Amino acid sequence: MRNETNDRDALVIGETRLRSRFFIGTGRYPSPAVMLMALEASGAEVITFAVRRVNLGCAEDDSILSHLADRKLIYLPNTSGAGNADEAVRIARLAREAGLGRWVKVEISANSRTLLPDPIETLRATERLVKEGFVVLPYASDDPVLCKRLEEAGAAAVMPGGAPIGTGLGLLNPYHLGLIAEEARVPVIVDAGLGSAADVAQAMELGADGILANTPVARARDPVAMARAMRLALEAGRLSAEAGRIPRKRYATASSEPAGVLFGNAGGEADSRRRPT
Amino acid sequence: MSKIDRCKLYVITGETYHPNRGLLEVMESAILGGADLVQLRDKDAPARELLEKARALRELTRRYGVPLIVNDHPEVALAADADGVHLGQEDAPIAAARELLGPDRLIGISTHSIEQARAAERAGADYIGVGPVFPTATKPGRTAVTTSFVAEAAAEIRIPFFAIGGIHPGNAAEVLAAGAKRLCAVSAVVGNPDPGAVCREMRSLIERSERAASPEDAAVRERAKEVTVNGVLRTTEAGTLLELAAEFGLADKNAVAEHNGEVARKAYWPFLPLKDGDRIEFVHFVGGG
Repeated sequence: MRNETNDRDALVIGETRLRSRFFIGTGRYPSPAVMLMALEASGAEVITFAVRRVNLGCAEDDSILSHLADRKLIYLPNTSGAGNADEAVRIARLAREAGLGRWVKVEISANSRTLLPDPIETLRATERLVKEGFVVLPYASDDPVLCKRLEEAGAAAVMPGGAPIGTGLGLLNPYHLGLIAEEARVPVIVDAGLGSAADVAQAMELGADGILANTPVARARDPVAMARAMRLALEAGRLSAEAGRIPRKRYATASSEPAGVLFGNAGGEADSRRRPT
Repeated sequence: MSKIDRCKLYVITGETYHPNRGLLEVMESAILGGADLVQLRDKDAPARELLEKARALRELTRRYGVPLIVNDHPEVALAADADGVHLGQEDAPIAAARELLGPDRLIGISTHSIEQARAAERAGADYIGVGPVFPTATKPGRTAVTTSFVAEAAAEIRIPFFAIGGIHPGNAAEVLAAGAKRLCAVSAVVGNPDPGAVCREMRSLIERSERAASPEDAAVRERAKEVTVNGVLRTTEAGTLLELAAEFGLADKNAVAEHNGEVARKAYWPFLPLKDGDRIEFVHFVGGG
């Protein structure tokens, strides 16, 4: 029997042992209060956030952290807004200076319409940040070759996207995501593009080690309920993957033995001859 | 000029802070990081053991040209050929130690008030400790004297003084701003896995503080200048990054700063002079995925 609290089931990233496989974003919630409740419902230990300029016109402009004080969380700042490796490295250094750890999610967008990650710059930034001692989790294209290269560059986990950020399109290339999960020797966290709990379960069934979601929780009609749904889906998907799905077959197999069937010798007679005439 | 004059960063041994690492390993790391005065302090060791440690440290410090001071025991200082002794207010008076050590060896004493500091100077101390500036586990139960005693000492004491007590890279700027030119640390250095790195950081703060006090820097600071803050060109009277942050109400917020593309550690803000054309970014965390 699998046990939820069993330590063997913990997800290890870098040197950190995580109990939850749900990484949750902190953007776009209706209010900080809803964000906190969703965070609670998700059970997430790792939370992501972004680095932005302080609004100098408004000294009261408060940072997200003031709402999270006293919680035992792992902070995963992203480098969103960076268009190349240099900018991502600068943002990562600023984030580290805040003294909240050395994890960083490399996020370098190549295109403002799709926000798809620039694979070359993502790899460059990962190489540099690993050398600087960061625990690097790059958000990457769902490309098995790129994910392997990121792993070789020292990424602590790889985070292939399911679909472009905020689209809710789900997993556009399950085949690739499955391959990435199969080949990776670091944890695979499916990030971006998820739409609902079904996508979370699918990602886990494909062999992902965890998921990162923000928009589908924050913009759901009920963010707190969606956080809980995704948490359960994550658990269900992981259990399902471990349990092992049956192979897909073209034709039916009866759930009961054919022996002792009441009418005729099962399957021996053409189906058409048993219709009433 | 006494050899104490050029000492800026005084590190005192504290073996209880590094139970798994050797005394010499830790102190060598500190010296390599910039500690330029070392004190052997061990209240519990028997006399023979203390002398052994003093001799070992003597060998190490001599290799790096760093003076060695022994806490409490002038006779151990003599036997190990250390450069001097450090006394507490409760130890033998300075005159008795001077008689034993002669005119050339250094005598330092801990002081906890300006009256004690004056008395030490009159009695012929070569340097004094001023503290504890902040509460510290090394001296439990001793009330912190705060930076106001540092300011008093800076205004009137002419022999070198080392601010001591709970000082670490995060609060050293405050102590330097109060007028200290020399710092002393125990746990912040020897209790850190990388004593050298802490020393480098403290030295860098001391050096920045010295530069900030130079007349050239002061002149630059006083002029109004044009700087770009978060992408907007502004004219400011602020002399330092800290003053600029204060103009926007950010001095005590969780903001992080970048100065001309490099992260500006908060501890350095008081010493970071602003110049025309500087580009500053003040950032913080916002919601994101």
